[in-house]
This record gives sequence, C-alpha cells and structure tokens, in this order.
Amino acid sequence: MRPVVGPGPWLLRSPDPSLETHRSTYRPLTTTSAENLASSAEAAALRGRGGAAFPFATKLRAVAARRGRKHVVVNLSEGEPASAKDAALVLTAPHLVLDGAELVARALGVSEVHLAVPDEHRWISEHLERAIAERPRTGRRRFRWRFHEVAARFVSGEASAVTELVSGRANLPVTSWVPTAIEGVRGQPTLLSNAETFAQLAALVLDPGSARPTDDEPGTRLLSLNYASGPIRVVEVWHGTPWCAVLDAEQLSRPVLLGGYHGTWVAGGALRNRTVSAADLADLGSGLGAGVVIPLDEGECPVHRTNLILGYLAGQSARRCGPCLRGLPALAAAFDDLAHGGELDPVLELAGLVEGRGACAHPDGTVRLVRSALKTFGTEIEAHAHGTCTGRALITAAVTA
Amino acid sequence: MTAATNGRRSRIRVDWPSCQARGLCHELLPELIDLDPWGYPLVLGEVPPELTAAARAAAANCPKRALRLESR
Repeated sequence: MRPVVGPGPWLLRSPDPSLETHRSTYRPLTTTSAENLASSAEAAALRGRGGAAFPFATKLRAVAARRGRKHVVVNLSEGEPASAKDAALVLTAPHLVLDGAELVARALGVSEVHLAVPDEHRWISEHLERAIAERPRTGRRRFRWRFHEVAARFVSGEASAVTELVSGRANLPVTSWVPTAIEGVRGQPTLLSNAETFAQLAALVLDPGSARPTDDEPGTRLLSLNYASGPIRVVEVWHGTPWCAVLDAEQLSRPVLLGGYHGTWVAGGALRNRTVSAADLADLGSGLGAGVVIPLDEGECPVHRTNLILGYLAGQSARRCGPCLRGLPALAAAFDDLAHGGELDPVLELAGLVEGRGACAHPDGTVRLVRSALKTFGTEIEAHAHGTCTGRALITAAVTA
Repeated sequence: MTAATNGRRSRIRVDWPSCQARGLCHELLPELIDLDPWGYPLVLGEVPPELTAAARAAAANCPKRALRLESR
C-alpha cells in the first residue's frame, strides 16, 4: 500500500517529484571530496536513518580511507511493513536520494550505484527508473544505476543481507566479521546507507542555507505513522518538534510503540511534554529507530498488540541461525501464554537465550520489544493473569504482513 | 596495558548461520561453552590465557567451521 505523504519542511518540500522542480530548489550536483561530504554530515550530526543511527561521517571516512574498488549501496528495501518513509521519498523527492548517492559515488571515485529496492513493490522501482531517465548523462563514463530486488521478508533489508544480494549471493543475513565499510560487496569497501540518509546528505550539501540548526540535533526526521486502519502516513518534522504536534491528545494518552516492531514502548502520557529528539527519547529509554511510530487505537490492549507483532516477528526468521529459528517461535508462544494469564519466567528465560545470538539484529530487536512490553505494561500483564484486560482487545487488528 | 589489549585474552564468536548444533565445541571446551536447550553453544565468557589452546582446538575442530577465536 502506498503511504500518504504529508508535506514536509525540508526533504519533502518539493511540490512534485520532477527533476525540473528539484533543480529549481537545490544547487546543481557537483563533485566534491569525501572529506567535504563528511564534514557537512558531521556538522549536521547526520546519523544513519535505517535504524542503527551510526554516524554517517565516520562511515564515509572509513570507506574513503580504503584503497581499491569501492561500492555505494542505497538501501530502499524497507522490509518492515510499518515503515514507508523511503517509499515516501521515492514518491516525492527521488532526485534527492539519487543526488545523495551520486555525490557519494563521485567523491569515492565510483561510477555506479546499487539501488536495493523491495521486490514486492514494483512501483518503487518504476518511480526510480522514471527519475533516472530524467537525469542527464554526465562525465566521460556513463554513470550507472543498478537495481537489486530485495525479498519481502523482515530481515532481507538488513545490511549484511543486502550486501550478500548485491554480491550475487542469497539475500540473507550473514555474520559480519568486519564492518561493511571495510569488507562489503564482494569483500570490497562499501558505503551502504538508508535512502533517507542519502537524501538528508544531499539536502545538506545542495541547500546548506535552509537547514535549521538546533543546538545538538539539526535537521529533520521522517516518521511513518501507523494508525489502526488506512495507509501509513509519512510526515517530516524538525528535530525538537513537540510530540503533541505529531500525535493527538488521545493517542498521546495511550502507549506508543516507537522504532517499529524492533522498537520500544513508551507509556501513555509519557510523550506529552516531550519532543522528537534523540535526547528526549533516550530519557524515556526509547528511540526512533527508522522512524516508525505506532500509536494504539481506542480500547486496544498493548499486551495483545505486542503479542500480535511477536507472532509476526517469529515467522520472519531467515531460519538460518539456530537460536532465532528455534528461540523466536518459543518466545512468541511463551509471550502468548503470558498474555493469556500464563507465567512470566519462561518469557524471561527465552529472551535471554535469544539475545545476542544471531547474525543480524532480528533476535535482539525482538527481545527489545518483549522487554519494553514487560517493563511498560506490568500492571496490564498482572490484570491478564487475573483474567481481565483493561482494553477491549482488538485481537483482530491486523499486523500488516 | 591490560591483558585484553595485550592480545592475551580472546573472545569466542559463533558464526550463527553456520552452526548446526553438533555440540563438539562443548565436548572440547566445557569450561567455556555450554549448550542451550536446542544444542547450540552458549559462550560463558572470555577466554583466559590458560584456556587459549583448548579454545583454539575447539574452533579448529568445529565440523561446520562456525567458531572463531578473536583476540581483543
């Protein structure tokens, strides 16, 4: 399903996705050094927007410092069904993503860029192909864009799974002994970042005047708002925007899941006097991850919602790492039991057995969700143990698959 | 300089997609490797210098080459 994209103040401000409109907003693409790009990213404290929040300047410098052939990969796969911000960028500002990638490629002396796109949403590739066709061919050698279709599985968009795919192997996570920046695609230095990260970089470099700096966190955030029904709504807000400008009073009074299915719950009311900022969310023991925001519907029980998400996550294991393959279904079953009045201990024990024991972040992310639910909904879980539920559970509320 | 930065103390890492729960590592290094309910290794801690040789042997004998010894 295509997201509804709200107008935004920075990345999403173009009224249409055409190259002409894009060029009337931003400076023409130039060739600049990797160090220049890294300095711009560093000045804006740009961190990866795929969920891991790794400092972009550090990553870029690590790749730039290596010799030999390098690769640039734009991760547009967005394997999490609750996230649609990269799709939103493709719909409204594809040239910003492409400019960001081309800036990095030119700086690294690379003449092609790999685009990792979701195979279940063909329209994303089509929009990108249309945008690429609009772009002039520059330089002596033709600049190439290579598409790679990422499977519709939660873990397929994970960095090592995408690196494997681009290297011509199975699209599954593998153990990363060495960072992708040093040994990525075909064992060569690779700059792999999320689509929003490239778009943020392009906006910083090609329109430096209009970034609105705040003390420690300049720039914007793309948020995927998931309501009980209807398409995902993607909005863009400046860091430091109060949450009450993002969610309504009713939604803020109920628990909110931040950071998506691998994210953390915050209690009802906790966001009321807080802003969209890493510092405020860290205070609450939470974080934005890739920007997914899941408010609860009226009367919806957060324990049941967690239970539904866990059931989905357990089925999304790539089925290669034993503790994840065996542990996640067991953990989901134990939590389901707990949600229906069962024991807590098996949940804790299985969470401990899964954590830190996989090639990718799937087991750890799933355990993060479990632990935050246990921490935030102790009273509700207690109520379930006594056969009651304060929310009339919308057990049928679909976890989008 | 601590023992860790000296490279004397090392860490066992499991290549989870490769591990097939054969359990040989536990046989060879029970001091540091336990098995979970499904037979996959549970690494109990860092490798002290006196167990380095045994840890190396456990890694070398894994039939799936799923164990690595990393010096820190």
